[in-house]
Amino acid sequence: MRAFQAELSKLFSLPGIWLAVLIGAVAPAGISALDSIAQKEDIVAGISTRLPEAGFIGLVLGVQGVIILGVLAVSSEYLTESSESGAGHQITTSLTAVPSRIHVLLAKAGAVAVISILQCIFAILTTVSVTHLMLGEYTPSFEGSRLLGTVCYWVFTALLAFAFTVLTKNALIPLAVLLINSSLVSFSVLLSKITKLAYYLPDRAGAEMFMVMGDRIHTPFTGGLVMFGWVAVLFIIAAIVFLRRDVAA
Amino acid sequence: MRVSSGRKFTKILGAELDKLVTLPLIGFILIGSFLLNLVLAAAFTSAGQQDSAGTQSMLELGLASLRYTQAGYIILGILAACSEYSGGQIRTTLTVIPWRGLQLSAKHLALAIITVPAAFMIAASGVLYSLFRMSNTAAGIDIGTMIKTLAGAAGYLTLTALLSAAIGSLLGRTTPAVVLLLGYYFVVSPLAGELLPGYLPDTAGYSMYMHPSAGEINARTPIEGTGILMLWTLLFITAALVLYRKRDA
Amino acid sequence: MLLYTWNHNRKEVLWLLTIHNLVKRRGNREILSGISFIARPGRVTGFLGPNGAGKSSTLRILLGLDRATSGSALIHGKAFAELPNPLTTVGAALDGSGAHPMRTGRAHLRWLARAAGLPRSRVEEVLEIAGLTNAAGRRVGSYSLGMGRRLAMAAALLGDPEILILDEPVNGLDPEGIRWIRTLLRERAASGNTVLLSSHLMGELAETVDDVVVIHHGKVVADGTLAEVTGNHSTLESAFFALTSERGGDVS
Repeated sequence: MRAFQAELSKLFSLPGIWLAVLIGAVAPAGISALDSIAQKEDIVAGISTRLPEAGFIGLVLGVQGVIILGVLAVSSEYLTESSESGAGHQITTSLTAVPSRIHVLLAKAGAVAVISILQCIFAILTTVSVTHLMLGEYTPSFEGSRLLGTVCYWVFTALLAFAFTVLTKNALIPLAVLLINSSLVSFSVLLSKITKLAYYLPDRAGAEMFMVMGDRIHTPFTGGLVMFGWVAVLFIIAAIVFLRRDVAA
Repeated sequence: MRVSSGRKFTKILGAELDKLVTLPLIGFILIGSFLLNLVLAAAFTSAGQQDSAGTQSMLELGLASLRYTQAGYIILGILAACSEYSGGQIRTTLTVIPWRGLQLSAKHLALAIITVPAAFMIAASGVLYSLFRMSNTAAGIDIGTMIKTLAGAAGYLTLTALLSAAIGSLLGRTTPAVVLLLGYYFVVSPLAGELLPGYLPDTAGYSMYMHPSAGEINARTPIEGTGILMLWTLLFITAALVLYRKRDA
Repeated sequence: MLLYTWNHNRKEVLWLLTIHNLVKRRGNREILSGISFIARPGRVTGFLGPNGAGKSSTLRILLGLDRATSGSALIHGKAFAELPNPLTTVGAALDGSGAHPMRTGRAHLRWLARAAGLPRSRVEEVLEIAGLTNAAGRRVGSYSLGMGRRLAMAAALLGDPEILILDEPVNGLDPEGIRWIRTLLRERAASGNTVLLSSHLMGELAETVDDVVVIHHGKVVADGTLAEVTGNHSTLESAFFALTSERGGDVS
């Protein structure tokens, strides 16, 4: 528990985390607002095919915030890019303060999960109100089960980013891959045009927890399960690597 | 005096080229984006073949992957600029080359020297691949158009890398620059699409190698696109130069 | 003596470091409030002060890295950026290695040599001098603290400069490295070069320097030869504490 609190205070003392929290809180509402503006005419005319997605589009694209959160939580331990080179690798300090590596890893993952849940709840609140504001009476209903799916999607995404960064120790690659993949021009969408296997990629499967897609092949539950499988596998690999690796390497 | 300042610039340029070449990440990113581009070109080509054949020209299919691959060039630019701030290298640089304006300009030029051939190769490889795959369906291709389009694509990637380097130099840190630029190029811009004016760096630059479909209103000629993107790049480089000369290292 | 005549010829190009009334403010904080001193050729000048006294800021301004709010820091009457070839005039080693962690030590020195138009053979020479020949092919990120400092020294010596400006040069070095630095600095000064180094290691400094400048809270509190500054105190260390604690009163 103390390790967990230490991780929380470590995270909140990083300026980058505040940026991530800000993006996570603002981006979904902003994206939904943009989408609602673009869609409004169609929706009012009753010809929109994407009505059930309104609002949720912001929540699926707004995971950028938790991706940054998950990546920075790990990379900040390794890389310090300050003008004073005296600042070293914080990981050495972390592991001497809490010698059990698995505790450090779990405490950190727990901190990331908790922050991303809070962030998601906040994002849902703002997104729902913004959508109501933009669409008024045309607003689709936000069912509880789908919102729960959204929370799961965010937490899983944050943990994927987290585990990925444990493997690379570097913010650049996971950040680039995951940010691009969570955008409109996602790799998974492109690949799903070629092979059915792409439907089992974590983001594509996970999105079915709450998005209504024309070409869905999972139920919300199995979609979540597939994504959770990815998280579990990647996390176990990351844990093994983290336990075995020399800190300095 | 003129001769000596010319020689001075050559020396600085040599040093900046050395710096880029000896940074292993730069090589990884160039090779990585090249391979990724081939994979994506393959994906786009087979997706294009499944569509009703002939709606998309081969050039467009071969270059469609650049939408993703530009990420590599964005990161390349950011790294070239921000690597100075790792390990306190900036202080070494400025005690050897205290002429800051000259040094930063040489850095951008060195980056362009590396990017131009790499960008040309990456664009050509994608087009050649789709040309090869679709050789039986295609009805010949105009070499002149192809060269022009490839030059446009290479120019786009180079200017994007330079723009990213300028922004990286303005921000001074890798992660915020990556988040900002990837967030803009991959989330905000595709999503906001028509809401944003057509003279932003990515939309204008897009017309350097993609020919607008007939229906588009904001269509620009490649020359216009080049001019606009060049203006943006120069604007940001100038801003970076001004700030770089003023601030404490 | 040969050394003397060589020295004498160089008199016209006195490699003086003159710091005059230097003031640096960051926001509301005044880091330096009117620092003035001179570092002379042929002598090792020690720049002494507790953590945060403004030593590094002064050196950074002298090297053109930071801008002074007012006052001047000149190298032979010129600002750093006006020197025709900085690397062969001034060798500087600030904290850390000053190299990108992903580059090899050799690659780091090579781009420096390229910037100053020096031959590549010089890189191997300074690697040898700094005792880094065996580690030259490894990434700087894998170096120990002491090896990073040796790399910084190698970079400072690359252009065989008349002036050395070193921030905490012995920090992180092993006993052998400390002795190496001490001998090196004495040799450089003996052949007429100017050496300015900052440190808070009193014992080490007393063995190496000719002149001492003590600063505290951004002001010079003592300036003179080692003997003058030590004065009636038994050691430089006790003189230092007397100088810096007297002044402790006016902080609050």
